[in-house]
Amino acid sequence: MNSGIDLQQSVIEILSNLGLPPGVAKLVWLPLPMVLMLVTAVLGVFTGVWLERKISAAAQQRIGPEYIGPLGILAPAADGLKLLFKEDITPGNADAVLFTIGPALVVIPVFLSYLVVPFGQNMLISDLSIGVFLWIALSSIAPIGLLMSGYASNNKYSLLGGLRAAAQSISYEIPLALAVLAVVMMSNSLSTIDIVNQQSGYGILGWNVWRQPVGLLLFWIAALAECERLPFDLPEAEEEIVAGYQTEYSGMKFALFYIGSYVNLVLSALFVAILYFGGWGFPVPLEQVASLLGVSETNAVFQVVMAAIGIVTTLLKAYFFIFLAILLRWTVPRVRIDQLLDLGWKFLLPVGLANLLLTAGLKLTFPFAFGG
Amino acid sequence: MLKFLNKIGDYAKETLQSARYIGQGLSVTFDHMQRRPITVQYPYEKLIPSERFRGRIHFEFDKCISCEVCVRVCPINLPVVDWEFNKELKKKQLRHYSIDFGVCIFCANCVEYCPTNCLSVTEEYELSTYDRHELNFDNVAMGRLPYKVTDDPMVTPIREFAYLPAGTLSGHDLPASAQRAGDRPEDVAKTLKTSSPEQSED
Amino acid sequence: MNLAEGVQTISFALLALMMIGAALGVVLLDNIVYSAFLLGGVFISISGLYLLLNADFVSAAQILIYVGAVNVLILFAIMLVNKREDFSPVPRRWIRKGGAALVSVGLFALLGTMVVQTPWVIPANLPATTSTLIILGEHFFSDYLLPFELASVLLLMALVGAVVLARREYVLDDEASVGEMPQLPLQLPERPKEPVALSGTSAPSR
Repeated sequence: MNSGIDLQQSVIEILSNLGLPPGVAKLVWLPLPMVLMLVTAVLGVFTGVWLERKISAAAQQRIGPEYIGPLGILAPAADGLKLLFKEDITPGNADAVLFTIGPALVVIPVFLSYLVVPFGQNMLISDLSIGVFLWIALSSIAPIGLLMSGYASNNKYSLLGGLRAAAQSISYEIPLALAVLAVVMMSNSLSTIDIVNQQSGYGILGWNVWRQPVGLLLFWIAALAECERLPFDLPEAEEEIVAGYQTEYSGMKFALFYIGSYVNLVLSALFVAILYFGGWGFPVPLEQVASLLGVSETNAVFQVVMAAIGIVTTLLKAYFFIFLAILLRWTVPRVRIDQLLDLGWKFLLPVGLANLLLTAGLKLTFPFAFGG
Repeated sequence: MLKFLNKIGDYAKETLQSARYIGQGLSVTFDHMQRRPITVQYPYEKLIPSERFRGRIHFEFDKCISCEVCVRVCPINLPVVDWEFNKELKKKQLRHYSIDFGVCIFCANCVEYCPTNCLSVTEEYELSTYDRHELNFDNVAMGRLPYKVTDDPMVTPIREFAYLPAGTLSGHDLPASAQRAGDRPEDVAKTLKTSSPEQSED
Repeated sequence: MNLAEGVQTISFALLALMMIGAALGVVLLDNIVYSAFLLGGVFISISGLYLLLNADFVSAAQILIYVGAVNVLILFAIMLVNKREDFSPVPRRWIRKGGAALVSVGLFALLGTMVVQTPWVIPANLPATTSTLIILGEHFFSDYLLPFELASVLLLMALVGAVVLARREYVLDDEASVGEMPQLPLQLPERPKEPVALSGTSAPSR
């Protein structure tokens, strides 16, 4: 397995050649990937919001944003600008401190989860050995923020929305974790890099979809619920509880929730791509093709091209799932709260356990195909 | 035990069925994505109002005989007819006439009953103002003719659904020669003439 | 002291300060909701300390279980009850306070002596652990097998208990019809639920 390009080493080398001491060069390097990832995440949100508007419009035979930039591509930026200039209102009897901390607590864990999202062999912030588990652990902090903002708003609808959101998050965390666990069982590692590498080598045939179709469905349903996307958007159900925990929020604080939900959607879609669709792996095993054509794996141009293909492939896979989520939004009606909890506890959980058991059995019987 | 297993089987069947339904729904939504938008990009494109469109009411001051029929047939007695009796002419002389289009329901009963045809409906429907009192049109404002959509160089006129050729669902990018479905009024008149020859031609 | 050590020292100081401050807040604040939220802060600081000790899995599990589950459930309970009550002076309150102080001091003494007695010498050539996860797993299934299994049995018992509490089935006599259900004060009448295994495939006609 070639390691691809090592950005860290090359950047530090370039900086050292410019005359910086190696320690300083490393210090300059340190924040770079994080800033890059933050920018990527925010750009991902912009794309997500734009796609949401355009695809929603198309599904309803409308046109959607058209005049704000080419094809209305600047519409999310206009949204952001509007929210930025809006008055930041704190309701009279609200708990000002908790009211302010709440949205931050919702957003920060989502952004932190980008730590483990890989776009290539070396293209992630850090290859942690706990990888996916970090994502699951961090996403469990969000309910606290939701409860906090729901409580601090001093509004019945907000409190109900917060409670619903928390109930939904903790019940769908379990099927999500079970689905991830089945994948992890096959790759013998929690690290996202290892999970992708375990799927690589055979192109599209090696991806986990074929080995974990049930797991994929489970994961996708649970991820939609975790993101509070439409079939499961009870915490913000307009018809019932105004806007749930967001009712009292305006301006930048509301923008934080807004960004958070879309970052979470993009993140979930990225994780679907990583866990089930071979991450940055191209449908055709490019390494083998290259070696057939006689291109050396250490060729610099080849590596750069491979890295670019990897990033594009990951994003394409992720955005396909965002597309699916948006289509689902206009297809499936919202479930009731008891139906939601029934689905989580009485359907997804047993199916998840059965899937885990099945995976374990298959792993013991066919160790070559299911990661011995 | 068997009952329990049966239940599980039924549950699984139901699950599969609901999954199928969701799949069908998704395919419908996806199919809609390939259709042309049916929306009209309003300030740049406008629908041509139909022949029988009941828009803002036009008023011709000189024809009015101040009979107040319009007031009587109006569901809410809306038109305000301000006249005074001219003793020299022994006639009612109209001083002001106004209709508040913020209250009007555009039923056009007044137009229907006006004995001198001084009232008529126009195709104007853009009646938004910053102040609702601006909608209270007096005889001068009601005497203005609306600007036709087809004459406006800034606006692309779009034909309404009933005026589209057979089989066409969208009024966008139609050739000017494309005729609407069905017979045109002239043709209808012709067939009427041929079918009833006893009606004399003048 | 190089960069990594400096970062570690500063993070330790910050985390320790955060933890102690939050813990004091949990105990001293009057508002129970603040206490519950600060408890989450304590748990997060503890997980940060685990992270400093290279126990990454334990720290993530700490966040998942304590912050994501325990603390959320505590908050849930508080917010669902939401009963605002003033503190009423309890007679002989000093006895309770004294008891609590005694227990706390005892615990502190116990932990203190443990801290003092433990040799904190770190062997110089510590083998670099690549994955704490595998080591943890090995321990769970070898020398800590019994506690591990006991804990799972305990959790199963809690689960069954929760299910029993949540289901609340009324055992009705045969002659009692649905209409005359025993109406307990301040409780909604509940429809009797039939156990899954007993009921037939066809729903009873109503």
